[in-house]
Amino acid sequence: MRHIEVNDASKIYKVGDLIIKAVDSVSFNIDKGEFVSIIGHSGSGKSTLLSIIGGILSVTSGNVYFNGRDIYNLDEHALSQYRAEKIGYIFQFASLLPVLTVRENLLLPTIFKAGTNGNVEQKIEKYLWMVGLQYKINAYPSQLSGGQQRRVAIARALMNDPEVILADEPTGDLDEITEKETMDLLKRINRDSGITFILVTHNLDLARNAGKWLKMDNGRLKEI
Amino acid sequence: MKFSLLTIALRNIKRKPFRTAVLVTAIALLVSILVFGTSFLYSVKSAMERASNRLGADVLVVPTGARSFADEVLLETKIKVFYMDRSILDRVREVEGVSRVTYQTYLTTILGLCCDIPPTTVVVFNQETDFVVNAWLNESFGRKLEKGEVIIGNEAFENLGLLDVGRSLLFGVEFNIAGVLQKTGTGFDNAIFMNDENIDDVISRGKAGVKRGDISLVFVKVKPGYDPYTVSRNIEGAILEVDTVERSSMGKRIISTFKDVSSVFLITIILASVLSAFLAWTVFSAIVNERSREVAIMKAIGAKGSHIMMMFILEVMIIGAVGSLLGIEIGTFLSLKLSKIFGLLKDISISLSPVEQFRIGLLGFLAGTGICIIGALSPIIRMKRLDPYAAIKEA
Repeated sequence: MRHIEVNDASKIYKVGDLIIKAVDSVSFNIDKGEFVSIIGHSGSGKSTLLSIIGGILSVTSGNVYFNGRDIYNLDEHALSQYRAEKIGYIFQFASLLPVLTVRENLLLPTIFKAGTNGNVEQKIEKYLWMVGLQYKINAYPSQLSGGQQRRVAIARALMNDPEVILADEPTGDLDEITEKETMDLLKRINRDSGITFILVTHNLDLARNAGKWLKMDNGRLKEI
Repeated sequence: MKFSLLTIALRNIKRKPFRTAVLVTAIALLVSILVFGTSFLYSVKSAMERASNRLGADVLVVPTGARSFADEVLLETKIKVFYMDRSILDRVREVEGVSRVTYQTYLTTILGLCCDIPPTTVVVFNQETDFVVNAWLNESFGRKLEKGEVIIGNEAFENLGLLDVGRSLLFGVEFNIAGVLQKTGTGFDNAIFMNDENIDDVISRGKAGVKRGDISLVFVKVKPGYDPYTVSRNIEGAILEVDTVERSSMGKRIISTFKDVSSVFLITIILASVLSAFLAWTVFSAIVNERSREVAIMKAIGAKGSHIMMMFILEVMIIGAVGSLLGIEIGTFLSLKLSKIFGLLKDISISLSPVEQFRIGLLGFLAGTGICIIGALSPIIRMKRLDPYAAIKEA
């Protein structure tokens, strides 16, 4: 059984008479612990594909299996549970809630997961230490730089012990040094924890950090 | 505080203090109108009922044409004098269905002329036959009044400035102030009571404007099995010089006047409710538009629709609850302080029990919070159903 199996998945939009195939009959597999990059130009469908895997955008046709279970056969409740328990999401924009401190932003996913145990404070300490921001625990996002906010978002993605982390252009608006630090951090987490990583980027240099590449072009998977 | 959806709701409320204040103020105004209006109407209705119930009589007999005076003296504390001959008492006693009768005579004080207190009603009653005042007298005083003694109604005691005064001049006769009655909730709270043993002394001084043998009102208890309405008609049929008022119809004039006032209140409350609900809808529509990206992120990291719904409902409930509590305070304050400026009410003994006040407060709280939730519900449901992908893409 493959960890993630995308089978002939398509996402088609109709805008008036125009039919847009954002993802067009894409099939591929990802094994547990792999670090996969999805590359492609803007509008090639890579973020759409990531959203489909993340359970926030349903397919028009085809299937997405996670540990052998078709996630789009799940009801709304189970799909939310899948997102809360199995997936960690890192967005391409600042995604921290501005009214919450760093600590509270890290706690946020834990209130959506049923049966979160009492060691969350230890986890916060561990992941903030891992991203080097333990001294910013009570800071608000507005008091952090863009790179620091991205690192907090990475720590937040780890809070519910996900099996997969989906990172959508996680270094998109960062300078080169911060970009490299962030990528090193993601690689380290992948290596140390065995969490599967799927990274969407249009930057070939970043994509080279991955063990496997998928290239999207006009909604189709071109090469592996 | 443990981190929860409540923490997020509270932070979001603080995020836009001005907007929150506008909504809280709107709800507070709505609830204050509701509490003020309800307290106002409820207290009048309950004062009327309480007063007529506590009179202990089934039928009142007054001189012809003085029917409204009974209400005015007994319920509204108005100073009125009206007299009929005492022989009426015996004639009423003879009417079929009458069980017991007693009478009262009303005198009016005039400061400086006959008395040393401002104008007020002095109730002369017969302690031997009385079944109206004696019950209160026993509760407050524990014994009968002696000749030369008066007892003061609860509000008259303060209103007339009789605190700590042991004696008072009434109609040229000096009386001992023997005590103060407990609050009765009737017009008698503003009166002074004396036994009819004193009436000869009072009349002999010629300062009371009353003749020997004058009485103002006859109280009637009907025999078991007799209908007060029928007995009332019997009395009017038998004695042409009198009119009768059944206890159940006392205060009807005031209550019917208040029906119009209550309609005005009701329309005001409905309009204010619609306005508040519309304001809540507007404010929360703006809030959800601003926060759609945050909600999308929360959904993407595992929030269910119910989490989103709960977060916003908590927010709107807190705003509604704070506004409602504020409104209850304002409404209660207004009903206590302003009721006396209304001419129709200033003579009525108004007071709500803590239970009645609690009920009205609870009604205001539920209405204020409920209207806030109803107004905000549509935008909140929109957020519950938000497509996270589309919202993130838009961002």
